[in-house]
Amino acid sequence: MNAQPHILVIDDEAQILRALRTILTAKQFKVSVASRGEEGLTLAAAQPPDLVILDLSLPDMDGVEVCARLREWTQVPIIILSVRESERDKVIALDKGADDYLTKPFGIEELLARIRVALRHSAQTLGTQKSQIIDAGSIVIDLALHTVTREGEEIKMTATEFKLLAYLAANAGRVLTNRSILSHVWDPSEADRVEYLRVYIRQLRKKLEEDPDHPCIIRNEPGIGYRFMTDE
Amino acid sequence: MIRLNLFHKLRAFPGLEYLLAILMTGIFTLLVLPFRSDGGQDHTILSLLYLLPVVLSSVLWGLGPGALAAIASFLALNYFFVPPYYTLLVHRTQDFLVLIVFLGVSIVIGQLVGRVSKSLSETTAREYEATHLYELIMRLAGMQDEQEIVSALAEQALITLHAERVDVLVEAQGGFPARQVRLEDRSQIDVEVASTPTRIAPLQSTRGFLGEIKVWRGDSRLSPAEERLLNTFASQGVLALERVRLSQTASRARLLEDSDKFKSSLLSSVSHELRTPLATIKAAVTSLRSGTVEWDTDARVDLLAAVEEETDHLNLLVGNLLNMSRIEAGALKPERGWNSLAEIVSTALDRTRQQTEKHKLEVDVSPDLPLVPVDYFQIEQVFINLISNSTKYSPEGTAITIYASHLVDENVLKVMVSNQGPHVAPENLERIFDKFYRVTAADRVTGAGLGLSICKGIIEAHGGRIWAQNLDKGFAFNLTLPLSWEGFAHRSMKEVMDE
Repeated sequence: MNAQPHILVIDDEAQILRALRTILTAKQFKVSVASRGEEGLTLAAAQPPDLVILDLSLPDMDGVEVCARLREWTQVPIIILSVRESERDKVIALDKGADDYLTKPFGIEELLARIRVALRHSAQTLGTQKSQIIDAGSIVIDLALHTVTREGEEIKMTATEFKLLAYLAANAGRVLTNRSILSHVWDPSEADRVEYLRVYIRQLRKKLEEDPDHPCIIRNEPGIGYRFMTDE
Repeated sequence: MIRLNLFHKLRAFPGLEYLLAILMTGIFTLLVLPFRSDGGQDHTILSLLYLLPVVLSSVLWGLGPGALAAIASFLALNYFFVPPYYTLLVHRTQDFLVLIVFLGVSIVIGQLVGRVSKSLSETTAREYEATHLYELIMRLAGMQDEQEIVSALAEQALITLHAERVDVLVEAQGGFPARQVRLEDRSQIDVEVASTPTRIAPLQSTRGFLGEIKVWRGDSRLSPAEERLLNTFASQGVLALERVRLSQTASRARLLEDSDKFKSSLLSSVSHELRTPLATIKAAVTSLRSGTVEWDTDARVDLLAAVEEETDHLNLLVGNLLNMSRIEAGALKPERGWNSLAEIVSTALDRTRQQTEKHKLEVDVSPDLPLVPVDYFQIEQVFINLISNSTKYSPEGTAITIYASHLVDENVLKVMVSNQGPHVAPENLERIFDKFYRVTAADRVTGAGLGLSICKGIIEAHGGRIWAQNLDKGFAFNLTLPLSWEGFAHRSMKEVMDE
């Protein structure tokens, strides 16, 4: 990765482009902007970015389609921007390969945190040097040995619980949709059985969280899915 | 049906009944003939027996055939049983008297019996008509749907007229769609239905032609009574259709008027409501940008916090507006999924963190409650609105509690959001869920008066109930959410784990 990561912002609102360009440039990113889907796709092809920030409502094409077209040739991390009223589109975009999302209006700290996670994750994917040991507070998960420990003490898990935890932890910091979790951990044919997920998440939280009613490790992403939080 | 078919076929040949009357007399004569004694003294008793075919003919075939049977019996009695046999001559005066009296008596009895039986069958027919007409009227009376009316009309006509097939057609007119119903008698499925209907009755209203009823019934025509009945059906159908159309037109007009009123109150309420946070933001930002004052760090932080709070406030307001317009347009359809109420409440609390800073929150919503089939965002919006309402109306520093429980008997989750705010007059407990309704004067409390009406709209779209309640010390909102819904059979957590 370059010292100065390149971010492509595709959004049709001039004010958002202006604000993001100013803020991200100040944060030492190289920023290019596009206000239409086609323009964004052309720019991405001409000068492959390290990360794409994509608005879902574009004048010329659906943001979900831009996402799908990008995924045809690149694994560049994509962060979706959307308004609160288009939750379903957001879930579709995430299922179609987007990495994360933010709801407008959003705080800039939140955006920067998402950018950091996405860039780190893509660096790991590229290097294929995935860590086999994941720290989350006092919890340590060893993906190779299939063990979970709290302060050295092993926490017993069923096979499904561990499989679920491992999938969440391997994608630490990223949002995972209910569908993607269900089809990875269970089976694609069970992708709509959200009730399984709810029940197992509840079990995991009881075992892992200090206060299962106010979870800090497995966070809710309202209406979308879950996010595994590490120490960072 | 076979009996009825025969009956209809008889009607097609009017002379047949007379023939049958003579035939019956003849058969009777043949039956009695072997018992004739040679003395010729039994014709007085026989004359009594001969009343039988006369009465039967009158009952079965009416007055004319009855009279004919009387004359035929008189002749048969004379010819076969009064000596000298096989002539119409009568020798003895007393035989002659018997015959004359027989003729007179048999005609009179035949006519009396025939009349009684005729009026009886007429009464039965009228009762039949009246019963079916009554049934139709009763069915039509409560109906508010055109298709239902058309179906009821077709069904009743099919049954009452013993038809093979009934078509009811209503033409499209003035924004009301066309309707068509065809009913066929299942037991006559093998009967080939003619291409042209037996009878067509128009559905004619004062304002024009609405449609028609077509009746097919083999080759037998409708009797005048049946024609009359069919026409009465048609006019009752027209009345019912017109009633429904009138009430629909009226309610459309009322809706338009309501929606107009709604829009103007929304505009006035919203423009005020949007300007307040905008004014704060504008003031804070211009202060910070103007070079004339040097702001110290604390003041800067305060001003910036105000900007952030007000933007959140605006965002919430826009969300409510959108939901309100969806509820108004009838477009608020919950996208149901299995959700945990605890998760929904916890994200609602996250979103209202700034507003609830000055209150104590006591939340008891167990994650072990059964999953509930609801739209996550809509129910979250309900809690945000209820929490936001509670913070506005209850004094700072007091507690706001959220308590959820599972009512097993009713198969619902019940939630109570209570605060220590002032009571609401009992007569206003329902009104607070009305649009733009605010309990206190508008200038004391901010809000467009939309929040609670949105809660009501959303909860009702979920098949639940929401109501307000004065507590001993404070005020509470209660709501219920059903645990099962079409396609979402309720299952406990344990059942899912065991699967």
